[in-house]
Amino acid sequence: MAATSAGRVLTLCRQFQNACRISTTLSAQQSTVTLTKGRSYPHRLPSTLLSSSWSCNLDLAVQCRPLHTTISRRGLEEFFDIPENWGEATVKSGAPWTAKQLRTKSNEDLHKLWYVLLKEKNMLLTIEQESKRQGQQMPSPERLKKIDRSIRRLDTVVKERENALRLLQTGQERARPGDWRKDVFGRIYWYRFREHALPWYMNRRYKRKRFYTPAFVAPHLRLRLEKYLRAKTRKQKKESENQAVLKEKFPQMQAKSQ
Amino acid sequence: MASRLIYPLYQMGNPQLRIFRPPFFLTLVRPGKEQPPDVVQFRIPMVMTKFDVRNYVEKIYNVPVGAVRTRIQYGTNKKRNHLNQKVKRPDYKVAYVQLAQQQTFEFPDIFPKKDVKSAEGSVEEMQEKFMEDEEQRQKPDPRRGGVTEWFGL
Repeated sequence: MAATSAGRVLTLCRQFQNACRISTTLSAQQSTVTLTKGRSYPHRLPSTLLSSSWSCNLDLAVQCRPLHTTISRRGLEEFFDIPENWGEATVKSGAPWTAKQLRTKSNEDLHKLWYVLLKEKNMLLTIEQESKRQGQQMPSPERLKKIDRSIRRLDTVVKERENALRLLQTGQERARPGDWRKDVFGRIYWYRFREHALPWYMNRRYKRKRFYTPAFVAPHLRLRLEKYLRAKTRKQKKESENQAVLKEKFPQMQAKSQ
Repeated sequence: MASRLIYPLYQMGNPQLRIFRPPFFLTLVRPGKEQPPDVVQFRIPMVMTKFDVRNYVEKIYNVPVGAVRTRIQYGTNKKRNHLNQKVKRPDYKVAYVQLAQQQTFEFPDIFPKKDVKSAEGSVEEMQEKFMEDEEQRQKPDPRRGGVTEWFGL
């Protein structure tokens, strides 16, 4: 079992050959623990989109705790794709991460994945800019959209978890405090608080911002309301007329289309 | 943290601000003007500072950074579209990062010319063959020694 799992780890990361040789010389239980830990990691996480050997350094490096492995020495090369892909017309890449998949991951995994996605996006932006500079087509530009979506979904999942934690611990629904306030035009909106070094009555810029409606605005409020109601009635009437016409044409129609 | 960050107010004695999951993306660009060999040029978001860039590159890419200089590039608002409306090109910040420990960096050629051999019997192969034949047909008679057909005989 140790041999096969070692073999699998080896095929994943070429750079880890020395490390894995060291690991097999460790005591049996230790090696099985580390290698199963490394193996239980689905191929998903090491690869942003498709498993590439260089990007799984971060994850396996931290997973195999008793091992000491050298971190990736690629440095600025990580801003570019692997040299095999230079000059290609298309580069294969997998599907973006879905929120459902991300919800199964632990916080540490998501944290690491964020940086993997960040580096991938930096690389794609670099290639995009260089392609514009050279007047060439960027290979597989859809990768940028995929990365954007993955990043957004990761952020959503982390925010969900933070919200849940905050609700459980403090009962606060929002992370940032706020209040319903009226602006100068009589509209009510959610004003989000900011941190200040002084109290509000000493803050000159804040005092210039009026959170009340002056008296001369009152007639305009009524006019605005009338305008809004008129537009709403017009829309509803038009919709009902449209439905009547359709009903005449197609008497057996039941569902009201939105 | 993610987009639409709002930083907590800093007063003396407060702990160091730390951002987990930074939403900042760097673009390595080829320098327009000749730069010293140890200088790497980046396009960074406007909100990043020299210290941010240094920490970013050192922590995430493990590249030793010596000095960072930044400037803001103004994007023109002069161009007009087909409706004669002014079109603004976005402003961006440029960072010149000098590497430490006498490391050098040369911007590589990402689009080398590759001799692409199309697959046998595919459409591309037929098209290429056709183009080659056409070129061969259009070439003037080599026996005329570069003299055009306009001069009779």
